[in-house]
Amino acid sequence: MRFPSQAAKKTQLEAACQHTYDVVIVGAGVAGAIIGNELSRAGKRVLMVEAGLGEDITVKGYEEYLQRFYATAVKDNQSPYPVNPNAPMPRGTTVRPVAPGQPETSGYIVQTGPFISDTTYTRVLGGTSMHWEAKTPRMLPEDFEMASRFGRAADWPISYDELEPFYRQAEREIGVSADVEDQRYLDLRFPDDYVFPMRGLPLSYLDRMVDKGIRGTEVEIDGERYPLKVRPYPQGRNGIPNSEYDGGKGYVPVGAVSTHQVEEGERCQGNNNCVPICPVQAKYHAGKTLAKALQTERLELLTQAVASKVHVDPETGRVSHIEVKYYEDPDEPHFVTGNIRGQLFVLSAGAIETARLLLASNLPSTSGLVGRNLMDHAYLLNWALLPEVAGTMRGTNATGGIVDLRGGSFRRSQAAFSVDIHNDGWGWAVGSPYTDLLNLVDDHNQFGAQLRRDLAQRISSQLLLAFMVEVLPNPSNRVTVDPAYTDALGNMRPVVSFSVPDYTMRGVAYARRFAQTVFQRLGARDYTFYDPTDYGYIHYEGDGYIIRGGNHLAGTHIMGTDKHTSVVNSDQRSWDHQNLYLVGGGSMPSIGTANVTLTLSALCFKTAQAMLEELR
Amino acid sequence: MRHHAIDVFLRFSAEVTGFKIVELRGTGESGEYLGTLDRIVGPDVVDELLSAYAELQPREEAEREQLLRRQIFGNEKLGPIARNIIKLWYVGIWYQLPRNWRERWGVREADVTFTVSPNAYTEGLLWPAIGANPAGARAPGYGSWALPPEIPQV
Amino acid sequence: MAATDIQTIDCLKDYLYRAMQLEHATIPAYLSAMYSIHPQTNSDAYHILRVVVVEEMLHLTIAANLMNAVGGKPDLTRADFVPEFPTYLPDGEKDFQVSLQCFSPSALDTFLKIERPGLAPDANTRRIPRRSRGTAKLAACPEDEELEFYSIGDFYQEIERGFEHLYRVHGAALFSGDPKRQITSEYYYSGGGELRPVVCMESARAAIGLITGQGEGDGGGIYDAERELAHFYRFEQLKLGKYYEPGDVPHDPKGPPCQVDWTAVYPTYTNPRLEKFDASSELYEYARDFNRDYAEFLALVTEAFNGKPQLLLDAVPKMFRLRNGAMQLMRNPLPASKASADSAAAGQPDGPANAAPTFEVAEFAR
Repeated sequence: MRFPSQAAKKTQLEAACQHTYDVVIVGAGVAGAIIGNELSRAGKRVLMVEAGLGEDITVKGYEEYLQRFYATAVKDNQSPYPVNPNAPMPRGTTVRPVAPGQPETSGYIVQTGPFISDTTYTRVLGGTSMHWEAKTPRMLPEDFEMASRFGRAADWPISYDELEPFYRQAEREIGVSADVEDQRYLDLRFPDDYVFPMRGLPLSYLDRMVDKGIRGTEVEIDGERYPLKVRPYPQGRNGIPNSEYDGGKGYVPVGAVSTHQVEEGERCQGNNNCVPICPVQAKYHAGKTLAKALQTERLELLTQAVASKVHVDPETGRVSHIEVKYYEDPDEPHFVTGNIRGQLFVLSAGAIETARLLLASNLPSTSGLVGRNLMDHAYLLNWALLPEVAGTMRGTNATGGIVDLRGGSFRRSQAAFSVDIHNDGWGWAVGSPYTDLLNLVDDHNQFGAQLRRDLAQRISSQLLLAFMVEVLPNPSNRVTVDPAYTDALGNMRPVVSFSVPDYTMRGVAYARRFAQTVFQRLGARDYTFYDPTDYGYIHYEGDGYIIRGGNHLAGTHIMGTDKHTSVVNSDQRSWDHQNLYLVGGGSMPSIGTANVTLTLSALCFKTAQAMLEELR
Repeated sequence: MRHHAIDVFLRFSAEVTGFKIVELRGTGESGEYLGTLDRIVGPDVVDELLSAYAELQPREEAEREQLLRRQIFGNEKLGPIARNIIKLWYVGIWYQLPRNWRERWGVREADVTFTVSPNAYTEGLLWPAIGANPAGARAPGYGSWALPPEIPQV
Repeated sequence: MAATDIQTIDCLKDYLYRAMQLEHATIPAYLSAMYSIHPQTNSDAYHILRVVVVEEMLHLTIAANLMNAVGGKPDLTRADFVPEFPTYLPDGEKDFQVSLQCFSPSALDTFLKIERPGLAPDANTRRIPRRSRGTAKLAACPEDEELEFYSIGDFYQEIERGFEHLYRVHGAALFSGDPKRQITSEYYYSGGGELRPVVCMESARAAIGLITGQGEGDGGGIYDAERELAHFYRFEQLKLGKYYEPGDVPHDPKGPPCQVDWTAVYPTYTNPRLEKFDASSELYEYARDFNRDYAEFLALVTEAFNGKPQLLLDAVPKMFRLRNGAMQLMRNPLPASKASADSAAAGQPDGPANAAPTFEVAEFAR
């Protein structure tokens, strides 16, 4: 996919300020890219404003990310991406435990607790889709009806069936690999003749070993029995195209993006590094959609421009312009200010940045819900050694998992979860394989052939079950701003306060028991240990757990059916500002047990359709 | 270039990592690792380690393992460096020496934990040892993950 | 329509075997150059070489499809399949040889010759080989001394003429092969073009057109019919220091810079042979292991081409393992004692040379 040369640099602030665009989009991540592409292809003139650096997406630029990743000793989610004080990013490695009442300020996000999260998002061209895992399950039909079915949270203003066609559009855009017969469960419905663009990626050898151990067994909750098996996840990365796709037209995978013709990344190679960076761009990232949009020559990209204030006409309530701070050098806090004008405005900066910008703009809000109902999946990790070598550390990060407990009547009282089998072993939990090496060399005093054998035995039989536990909206979990905390450009940083709801903790406690049951059935030795001094440690009903952030940020401008109980309508249009669309995970009124990207992408296709109607 | 040193260094490395010299040279990193040692702990200490190793060479293999433990891995000065050499080959990271080592034999400015170079990471021997690839490099190919791992027998 | 030497189906099969040999012959040369590049350097060159190799494998697969279509049996394990390097190309281009060598200006010059466009720019005259090759005779089979094509494109034109002729003679019966033996995109994927089954004259023409277009461009332009830059022009970018952009004309790319660092390369021994290695050394064992792995790889691909297409998926990890083995050899010095006799000979790198895969598979032939 060709990224027009210099497209990331060529639009100058001054020039941009002289136009009135059809649409102004803030944030070049997956949500903004989809809307920008749909509108520019329909003939609209679009300006996209991006806080990150103005580098074209190229194979070489990608290789710079990769080299930075190779060269760092601590390979966290942000390790490939440049540090940019003018558009800072939260980073898991900077998070520290805090004393009660004391805010955690060492990272970009100020955290007032009580729960301290290591959640992240990325502020570069392409946004967090650069480091996303690219697991693309749909939400369940019942996830859209949480209130009416389980008496929890709120129903969505749209149903699964209404969103279904947009799911298919998102699956086309992202390029999802899955076999539809594997994905028909818990009432997930597809048109009869539907197939995914590409065939499902094979389960890993590790997945198959787990499946062999649990298939045919059941668990019982709330009087209902759930049979267990390992099921493949749909994935936003290139596999074998399905010739039956699109009524037999097939599908052409989109590989690497660059300013010249390249053929790479048309198929996943098993680098086992989806997070934080797929080295061959076989994984979807928003740059692929952005490149298409730029090829229309109707979408301009204004980079190194941090949106800092949304201005509203007090008479009409319509957005008049967005003020941006444009910087030349990421290491210098100098900037110039400009006003960007358009007919319609889209904020697609991610759940935290979009809320932060709205709050920093001090706009009136009828519902008072901007920044509230912040959600992220709560991850509980469980790790064990299988009785035999399972070939851990190979494949995509997660090819399969146990998804039978994503839905069920138990959701009246406790959170649902899906379970990922991590092909990268205990890495997330304890830093494997590095920690295994240090332990064997420094503590077990091994060297030579024995060391090799011990390493193979220990690492290749690792099993990590990561439970992605549902978190429901709670107005007191929120993003705010505080003039006491600003970044290098003087923009207010997000201040997050969050506590993990009891509903989730009941799910977490069950998840731990469930993991123990699975380990028992597999004959695996359980090494799970939750250190009480960890920043993510939570005490619940006599036991302690460590909760990790999921980077599935959502809920800061939830959608609904009226302006008093929600921030946007089902087209993601702001109730208070008729020409303002707040898009992305922030619009989701609940997140179920699906990674949020596919659903938010589907919502953006719906929004693009609504915007085109409005501009007609 | 320390030609003699590199030969002994490779023989020592082969014995303590469990990999063949061809495989060690095959990483393309041997000169870089010896250079890293010279730069951080100094050629004198490196030579001390290599001389101690050279003296063990004529012995029988079984006897050598015991001598390696007594005279190198169990040597208060040389042990931590020998262990760091294993880690260098395995994951390309120089780990900061233990505090008591630095207190006794002096703090070296360059002695911080770091990855020697991007290649040092991608050429790490840990991954071939476990039948895998370093995450993000040397990909094994579509679908290879579904097959049983091929872990070389040693 | 010009006359053709290809008067029988057996003769066509011989030509198609030669086509498979031809497509394969370039692969060890491209791999030798590609794997000699220091990792994390020469990104432009590495990616260009990688695409070309992937597409040569695609062409090899297409040639196998053509062979299967007419009832032939692709065999990559025949004793003469892998050439001894340096080698002339099997289509009879006699003015240059292909060597196994590290990435270097001379390697690049050879690659440009391999991929050069046919002599005559327009489609009609290009059908006539440059030199007269006597009158067509029944059962004429390709022999080195008889085949003299100027370019790979010209060679394939002859094959296409053969297909057309035999199709006029035999009709649909020419395509007597079992369609289940055809390899499709499901089993081998390259961004460079859809792999479609060859089951009729139309699909045979399309298959040949894809091979020639990817090599030298379509109708004298820099792109093939699928808007993919042809191999010749991909390599020319390295020579000229710039990428082609849509709208550019041949030999005048106007896109972003395309850079080469000739020093960031392992200086491997040119056209290495096992006899240059000390037979008692570890290095010898590894060089031999590589050849055995390569022979097994060719045997697996042969099996895949003979009715088990799904085996091609298993060949992919083997390919990546060959890469690891090749790179390991290329970082090991080849001890001077054995190699020194030739070190001053033409084509060897200055100074001490490193080992490299020798691609000698004869001793592992089935």
